[in-house]
Amino acid sequence: MSAVATKKDTSAKWLEQFELTAANRLGAANAAVLEKQQKAIAGFAETGIPDKKVEDYKYTNIRLYLNDEFALKGAATRLRQSDVRHLFFGGHATIVMVNGRFVQELSSLKNLPREVIVKNLFTVLKATDTGAGREFNEQFDEKASPMAMLNTALTQDGISITVPAGYDCKGPLHLLHISSGTDKVLYNPRHVIKVGEGASLTLIETYRSVELTEKTFINSVTEMIVEKDATLNNYILQEEDANVSQNNVHQVSVGTSGKFNSVTVSLDGKMVRNDLNVNINGENSEIHMHGLFVVKDGQHIDNHSLVSHNVPNCFSNELYKGIIADGGTGVFNGKIFVKQDAQKTNAYQSNKNILMGENSTMNTKPQLEIYADDVKCSHGTTTGRIDEEALFYLQTRGLNENVARKVLLGAFATEISDTVKDTAFRVLLEERIQVHIV
Amino acid sequence: MLEIKNLQVSVEGKEILKGLNLTVNKGEVHAIMGPNGAGKSTLASVIAGKQDYEVTGGSILFNGKDILELSPDERAKEGVFLAFQYPIEIPGVSTINFLKTAVNEIRQHKGMGNMEAKEFLAMLKEKQKLVQIDTNLTGRSVNEGFSGGEKKRNEIFQMAMLNPQLAVLDETDSGLDIDALRIVAEGVNKLRNKNNAFLVITHYQRLLEYIIPDFVHVLYNGQIVKSGTKELALELESKGYDWIKKEFSEIPA
Repeated sequence: MSAVATKKDTSAKWLEQFELTAANRLGAANAAVLEKQQKAIAGFAETGIPDKKVEDYKYTNIRLYLNDEFALKGAATRLRQSDVRHLFFGGHATIVMVNGRFVQELSSLKNLPREVIVKNLFTVLKATDTGAGREFNEQFDEKASPMAMLNTALTQDGISITVPAGYDCKGPLHLLHISSGTDKVLYNPRHVIKVGEGASLTLIETYRSVELTEKTFINSVTEMIVEKDATLNNYILQEEDANVSQNNVHQVSVGTSGKFNSVTVSLDGKMVRNDLNVNINGENSEIHMHGLFVVKDGQHIDNHSLVSHNVPNCFSNELYKGIIADGGTGVFNGKIFVKQDAQKTNAYQSNKNILMGENSTMNTKPQLEIYADDVKCSHGTTTGRIDEEALFYLQTRGLNENVARKVLLGAFATEISDTVKDTAFRVLLEERIQVHIV
Repeated sequence: MLEIKNLQVSVEGKEILKGLNLTVNKGEVHAIMGPNGAGKSTLASVIAGKQDYEVTGGSILFNGKDILELSPDERAKEGVFLAFQYPIEIPGVSTINFLKTAVNEIRQHKGMGNMEAKEFLAMLKEKQKLVQIDTNLTGRSVNEGFSGGEKKRNEIFQMAMLNPQLAVLDETDSGLDIDALRIVAEGVNKLRNKNNAFLVITHYQRLLEYIIPDFVHVLYNGQIVKSGTKELALELESKGYDWIKKEFSEIPA
């Protein structure tokens, strides 16, 4: 049982994998990266896969989802564009990733502006000197989560998207993450998104399973750098099937007068753990984080977020909403951290949940940690049942209970989907939300 | 159309309606008056099918059908409508979208297909005009940020859209100023016809100056203790409810 498994037990097989996969590692592209990978695996060896005694994993026993014998790579998939095209939408430029690797043949890049650089991370790191390699992983300190360290150590590739300074990328980019295959695989995609000074980008990430027959664990890390005066809208829709669990870290750094808007909608998958860490490093920045999760029977969805106000005069607002069906478990852990220097910070956080059944579980933990004295901060959380009065009202107009419930849950979700600025994606979201709320 | 026989209703073990009898025929407007706590709103809620009420005896027949067994939406589909005393706000639910769903649910129940979008919009316009409701209001989420009067008007608007056979107006006049009251009453009067009926529940006679009832009933202590015509309402207005309380206080609880 995992209760008696030691750190060593849970890290041993990954340490072994680290040695075995040397040739395929991202570090093979760049010496500076390799150094960091070695450091990361050493760090991971200290911690192992976290158990429930680790505060950040108290409500998510991630070991449960990592018990299988996962390989780091499965047999090659033979997907054709016709297998994935139904997942494209809005005519947006679409970058298709299969099991964490960019597959150009499946992608649709004709609407990709030539200014925007999209490449394999491996290729980018190989082509540059150790200087570029030095930037890799720089956002993480030694307190990085063990899963992020594992990703850093084992990652082989991912996507690199760069919007050059001053370029306003009008059309959204769709990053379509597909899990596919017939082997039990844990893959460690590593993505780096850079929005240069004064530039802007809307990046829509969707997660789907296509022709997937075995358990898959996605251990993903995305580093996002929003430079001075830049804007990044990051929209995420997670809809993997019951074979897939994921630990998904988005590590974001925002520069002076930068804007970062994220919307994370999690509708399906066996287990979803999202870590959204935003470091506000420049003054007058504005951060909006919205999330919606719909958890069904046997599923577990955990949203962890950390907003670090490191400098004065910034604004952050966070709202996550959950619908937890009978037998589902939701977790929200949001932390706002205001450093001593970060005066005039405005930071707000809210989490609202609806429990649908007798056996719906929600663990929520909003946290404020404030070291500055001239700030406006608030946090709050509510968890309750569906509004019976509203349900009755709609029923007296002729809507049967199921339809009325769907209407009310849809309305609850609308507050989140309405924050999406891209119409095509908002319509898709509304559609998918209707499919998943029961 | 509506036949209530010996209706007994309890809430959390407390008996509220103690053998209520009432018959409403089509084309009629009945007013139910009575002091606070007499059971007026309980009657409205029980007809609409609210769950918190326990019917311990009696029956409610609607067009010969026992509706106590039906869910609130099934009652609505049969033609029962409740205008709420306190209409609630439902953020995120657009009035127009939900009415479209409601209209089509009711049509499906009658074996009709969904209404064409064009036809629905035409009806929407017509009914908005009929009850003098601003398109600004119907374009928003249900009752969100509405004033008390706007909420009541929205109830009458929904009634106009759903065209029920029996409309129960639960203290629709409460909290309305005289202008809003008149508009609401005009709406009801325009919708009155020989095939539908109204049950107007009110505390005051004022509303009945605008909606002239065919019958007035006094509900006290869970029973209808007096029935008459509109003159009864005037009598209540001048004498208050005290004489009713005195006359019927010996009724065993």
